[in-house]
Amino acid sequence: MKGVPKRSRLSTQDLETLLGVTSALAAPFDLMTMLGAVVDAAKQVLKADRGSVWLHEPSTDELVLLIATGIAPVRVHSGAGLVGACARERAVINVPDCYADARFDPAVDRATGYKTRCMLTLPLIDHHDRLVGVMQVLNKAGGVFDADDEQLATALAAQCAVALQRVRMTEQLIEGEKMRQALEMARVVQMSTLPSSMPSVDGYEVACTFRPAELTGGDTYDVALIEPGLLIVLGDATGHGIAPALTVTQMQAMLRMAFRLGADLDRAYVQVNNRLAETLADDRFVTAFIGLLDPRTHALRFHSGGQGPIFHFRAADGAFERYKPTSFPLGAMPLASARPSVTLALAPGDLLVLLSDGFYEQLDASGNEFGEHRVEALVRERHRDGAEAVRAAILAAVDAHAGATPQADDMTAVILRRAGLGMSRTFARDFASIDAMVSYSAEAFDRLGIDPTLLAAIDFVVEELFTNMVKYAKGSTREVRMDVVAIGGGVEVTLTDHDVEPFDVTRAPDVDVGAPVEARRPGGLGLHLIRRMVDAIEYRYSDATRESRTTFRKTAATAPHDGAGTATGG
Amino acid sequence: MLSIDHGPDGAVVAAGRLDAAQAHAAQAFLDRTTGVVTLDCRALEYISSAGLGVLLKTHKRLLGSGGKLRLTGVGPHLKDIFTYSGFDQLFEIG
Repeated sequence: MKGVPKRSRLSTQDLETLLGVTSALAAPFDLMTMLGAVVDAAKQVLKADRGSVWLHEPSTDELVLLIATGIAPVRVHSGAGLVGACARERAVINVPDCYADARFDPAVDRATGYKTRCMLTLPLIDHHDRLVGVMQVLNKAGGVFDADDEQLATALAAQCAVALQRVRMTEQLIEGEKMRQALEMARVVQMSTLPSSMPSVDGYEVACTFRPAELTGGDTYDVALIEPGLLIVLGDATGHGIAPALTVTQMQAMLRMAFRLGADLDRAYVQVNNRLAETLADDRFVTAFIGLLDPRTHALRFHSGGQGPIFHFRAADGAFERYKPTSFPLGAMPLASARPSVTLALAPGDLLVLLSDGFYEQLDASGNEFGEHRVEALVRERHRDGAEAVRAAILAAVDAHAGATPQADDMTAVILRRAGLGMSRTFARDFASIDAMVSYSAEAFDRLGIDPTLLAAIDFVVEELFTNMVKYAKGSTREVRMDVVAIGGGVEVTLTDHDVEPFDVTRAPDVDVGAPVEARRPGGLGLHLIRRMVDAIEYRYSDATRESRTTFRKTAATAPHDGAGTATGG
Repeated sequence: MLSIDHGPDGAVVAAGRLDAAQAHAAQAFLDRTTGVVTLDCRALEYISSAGLGVLLKTHKRLLGSGGKLRLTGVGPHLKDIFTYSGFDQLFEIG
């Protein structure tokens, strides 16, 4: 450090004085009191008439003179005048005659009427070698500051720096705590607007999750039965902190009010958008999916302001349809009229999957995002088990993906599933059950309104699979369950075999049906054929329950079919 | 990191990542632009919602005085983000 004092030792009397004044620095808790105590200590030790402390602000590299609470502080860039020179060089500057020094700015004297004669300017540097500020003492009683004073001042400055830094850090902690409390309050408000229970709608199940990030994000969701149908909302306001949490809360309240006042989907959307456009800051917006389901017609009409992806899983063909937003985010710009909404038709067993980007963007330890393909795979695997099972599977998977990586953003999920229309019965593991199975499938087709032209193929497949089970899983005495579910345009049948070894029909070797008769072996043809008679066939085995599940679908649209099946799970 | 500056043809050229950490610098630069401003995105690798906010704020300010913000050189990755956020309906994208 520059400005090393010329004398190496302080006198005992000096030390006592120093210790006396600096012990007073232990007490103050707030910055203004501490600044006063520091200046008093300096005045006393250095026999100066006046003193001031400029605090260094690292973010702006300015030196700030706090005069009193409520009065605007004086700011100078660290580099200007004597204060700046001292900060830059981190050295004591002793000016015996200020008006003879070009760096001295007489403006303060002119403003206050005070006459600065001599001045000692010293850097305040803490234990970590950080510049805390600059202290100035003026007009030594009976003369000018000398080398002894410089040494005393340097010793004092070190004490003052540490004391000031302590108070500043305490104040920052208190600010942090205030911020934390404010965030907590915003979070409480945000949570309080979430529906406390899911409305019950015949033929539908809905599962939702709101999992806040530590620092509040701006997610919300709403599922409510209102006059025009089932309202489904998932929203995400930009940014983090109190504002987005309150913004989505406001949006959700405005939406409910608009519908309560009789607005239709388009009008509600436009009104809420325009209201948000008026109130939000220019760089703020809310992405939101706002949909209305008519549970009688199974039509789901929606607007999406920048909220995506919107996934519609179709149980009939296993397709995962992705819809784009219909418009820009809410609040970005006023809208004169609504853009066209989109309507999707939910067939039995279909799912609507809405997840906020907190899911898709959750990183693992290597920085990879959770991504959409994992969500798609989970929905395909678990959709038959219901909305709640899909929700739980996605949450478990995102947790496994994240590991120790913290959650960076709110995670919100709304999963809606139209119940598959289905019937289920168990049958004894015996060839004699085949008749009962055939009559049961006919009854199910009739009651569920499934296209009867598909029945023959289904019976063929059921018989082949069931025969296999009886023949090859001799160890089990459990009954075999048959589930028949109506799906859009067709049927899905699942045979579940309990307490058995895995046997994946989708992987059984193909038979060369073109081979000459002498090369053909008996067996295997039944499985070969069923793979060609259905649209898709899937096999899953659970080690935990030793349960084999074979599911196949057939629809009228693809009735004459000769494609091979696919396997999932294993 | 993000670099943002005027290119030789007068367009504003942004390169790198326009994320929350860089939004402030990008906003400070774009705040000084006027009229019809072309933002060349050829070297822009990523944009977050904070970055979209910067573009939106700039676009609104320019619209207020008869100008606008146009985007060029938008690659497929950014295009997806603009499409899926609905921002393709707010900006002229070339």
